[in-house]
Amino acid sequence: MLEKRLYEQILGIALSGGADFAEVYCEYTRNGRIALMNERIESITDEVVSGVGIRAFRGTSTVYGSTSDTTPSGLVKCAKAVAEAMGEIGEGQNVVLTERVFPNIHPVRIVPSTADMGYKSDLLKLACSSAKAYDKRIVQAAGNLITVDHTIEIANTEGLLTTDRHIRTRMAVSAIAADGSETQSGSCSPGRGMGLELFEMFKPEDIGTEAARQAIVNLGAVYCSAGQMPVAIESGFGGVIFHEACGHSLEATSVGTGCSQMCGKLGQKIANEKVTAIDDGTIPGAWGSVNIDDEGHPTQRNVLIENGVLKSYMIDRLGSRRMGMPMTGNGRRESYAYEPTSRMTNTFIDNGPDKNEDIIASIEYGLYAKSMGGGSVNPLTGDFNFAVNEGYIVRNGKICEAVRGASLIGNGSQIIQDIDMVGQNLATGQGMCGSSSGSVPTDVGQPLIRVSKITVGGR
Amino acid sequence: MNFDVLKNTLVAALSEIGITEYEIYYMSDESTSVDTLNKEVNSFSSSSSGGLCLRVAVDGKMGYASTELMTETEMKELPLRAKANAYATEKPDTVGIFAGSPSYEELKMPKIELLSAAELKAYAIKTGEALFAKDPAVKEGTSSSAVSAGTTVRLFNSHGVDLSLECGANLLVGEAVVCVDGENQVDYSFKSLEGDQTVTEVVDEAVSEALAKIGAGSVPSGKYNVVFSGDKMRSLLSVFSNAFSAKAVIDGMSRLKGLEGEKIASDIVTITDDPQREGNAVGTNFDAEGVATHRKSVVDAGVLKTFLHNRETALAMGKETTANASKAGYSSPIGVRPYSFAIEPGDKTQDELFALAGDGIFITEINGLHAGANPVSGDFSLQSAGFMIRGGKKCEVVKSFTIAGNFFDLLKNIAALGNKLERGVTTGFTGFCSPDVFVPDMSIAGK
Repeated sequence: MLEKRLYEQILGIALSGGADFAEVYCEYTRNGRIALMNERIESITDEVVSGVGIRAFRGTSTVYGSTSDTTPSGLVKCAKAVAEAMGEIGEGQNVVLTERVFPNIHPVRIVPSTADMGYKSDLLKLACSSAKAYDKRIVQAAGNLITVDHTIEIANTEGLLTTDRHIRTRMAVSAIAADGSETQSGSCSPGRGMGLELFEMFKPEDIGTEAARQAIVNLGAVYCSAGQMPVAIESGFGGVIFHEACGHSLEATSVGTGCSQMCGKLGQKIANEKVTAIDDGTIPGAWGSVNIDDEGHPTQRNVLIENGVLKSYMIDRLGSRRMGMPMTGNGRRESYAYEPTSRMTNTFIDNGPDKNEDIIASIEYGLYAKSMGGGSVNPLTGDFNFAVNEGYIVRNGKICEAVRGASLIGNGSQIIQDIDMVGQNLATGQGMCGSSSGSVPTDVGQPLIRVSKITVGGR
Repeated sequence: MNFDVLKNTLVAALSEIGITEYEIYYMSDESTSVDTLNKEVNSFSSSSSGGLCLRVAVDGKMGYASTELMTETEMKELPLRAKANAYATEKPDTVGIFAGSPSYEELKMPKIELLSAAELKAYAIKTGEALFAKDPAVKEGTSSSAVSAGTTVRLFNSHGVDLSLECGANLLVGEAVVCVDGENQVDYSFKSLEGDQTVTEVVDEAVSEALAKIGAGSVPSGKYNVVFSGDKMRSLLSVFSNAFSAKAVIDGMSRLKGLEGEKIASDIVTITDDPQREGNAVGTNFDAEGVATHRKSVVDAGVLKTFLHNRETALAMGKETTANASKAGYSSPIGVRPYSFAIEPGDKTQDELFALAGDGIFITEINGLHAGANPVSGDFSLQSAGFMIRGGKKCEVVKSFTIAGNFFDLLKNIAALGNKLERGVTTGFTGFCSPDVFVPDMSIAGK
């Protein structure tokens, strides 16, 4: 997108305020969204995101400037502002870049932005009509087909000049069920780091049907009673428990500033020995995968916890300086407008030793959380919360009536010790994770697990 | 290229392909922030961005295309993309591009001068140092941030409507990490930056609230009288505000459908939307379609008076627009949102609300609103923290419990309102306000 010589010039200017490192991140993204409501295509939006972020370090002090003005004069202005904020302007520095090409481990067969609009609309219509057809109490099925085609170039004063293109596709269907004065909703929103071949893996009609099924279950559900109890959390998006309860506390963003309950615990046993947790940005085509992170570092497989012992944090470039540890390919950002920081990619609890049927059978009275919503955490204290989108009471080892309105709260360091059974059906779910560097796609995942006791919020 | 050059290029390109009805919506943002960590400046950032959204009425439908790439080639490309998107859309456009309001109110918000990078740096350092000086329990990880942000909107359309709006704010954030007897806690304060007194207020609030969290126990599960702080009630209102949108009603996504003219809240509840609410830093005198905005009561003494409308929903329901057309971002399609949505204050002091509650809980923290609250059904179950109320007085700190209920039931059960309006920092042009609110008999799940 920019010429090599321009990158070298901008980096030289960015260093001139006394920085010891500078980086330029240039982005061109096509975001597409087709929205369906009331059984017809309601709106189509497409957007070009285009801009540059320039960053300079001196030790662990950082300066970040971003601009959507990508003309050479706009970039020089931004780089000068970065240098001035860093310190007194000295000589422009000489920077020489050498281009590097990383392997593409996420090939795309059908690039969404080039596919026929009618074909894309039909995929969405098929999903929503399947939702409506599921039950006459489904009064609305709304859907979005979201596509992102994201090209980045990264240059830094270590001489790196590289580029990557990342394409992702997601369909999100939400179904509304109504019966008298009662209204409930259900949703299904699979996505992958791939093109429209996603819909060979997930049939649109199955996506719509799943959203409708969940809405109908909730319509017939009773309010969940509150209290502490054992909870079995299903595979897939259930992995949000690890993401919130533990994952954020392992990011250098909080560890590197001393604001994490996981500080100084490398090598210590922090979880039940059945828990092995991994962050892996290299899984081909996964929602949270990228070839290189947003600092130009290749992603990798990081074993965070092995048999209960803390093995690694997730570390970006600034975190690496703060902590004196190597980068792990986790420097991510939503767009050029955000300074990158350490973020999760595809983070999951690995398969364990327990049979799924034994997990349910072990619960005398508790909750089976079949589908989870999102949640949040305070990394300093580890206090977290998350919502149950579809839940059932377990009585005498059997799954019984559906309950709604439940949430789970607890403390991260406690909960990972209380995961006392880990099943064998590892699956992932897709989320958009929000933090200081914006909203980035992340996979969460796990097999069916049992938490021996957790506070269930309800009525 | 500046807006006028871009506009002229676009208008010529539109004319070339025969598009006569269009709107150009341009938004640019400038922001600067200086952060400290442990009293030292550790980060400085500045951003400048601008995006343009073209909306065209073609073939009886509306097409959108947006870009941040401000080149001549892109301006020639944009009308083609918008036209193609209009053809592929199926929903008929019933209202077209707006011809303009007869008049527009003067913008009442005072123009705020954005602080320079040097001034922001001085405030950030002063705040960082004051946080540490405030209490010996303040520790590593404590941070501050001083931010200035300005937004410019231009709306130009084929009917000659040509509107502009500039607004900005200076903000100060202090986050105090404290450690007492080995227990870490954190809290922050976030205020409009209006001089040195803001530093004192932010520091006092962040440190005292972090310290107040130390030693919190849980509460036994059960039914409790609850006082929500204005700030937390404001957050709840924001999550469920979409139910008041006529678009949600039409789309079958509002529990309030069919209840216009009916009692939906307690007699003492009045909810207004005032795009130029007195005391707010940000406001607007036109909505995202270019319609002149005005104050309206959405709920008056418990009765639902109107939904919020844009021109399309108003036409569909046989009403006048309430000038609540909105865009989530510059590139978003036209939707419906409140501008400054508020539960109007009542007459009780906070102490009087505690006295009315007798024994109960004062909720000062709610987490996970994006997940634990269902905007359609109104159900919520949320991780909370706060203070016990015993004998009508605020007592010990409590955490690790959830509060659960249904927002639409809660509106009916509001028994008293505080006399002070809490207003949050507006995101985009939408903000929510509420006083403290007393609600008897809420479900709490704790130990």
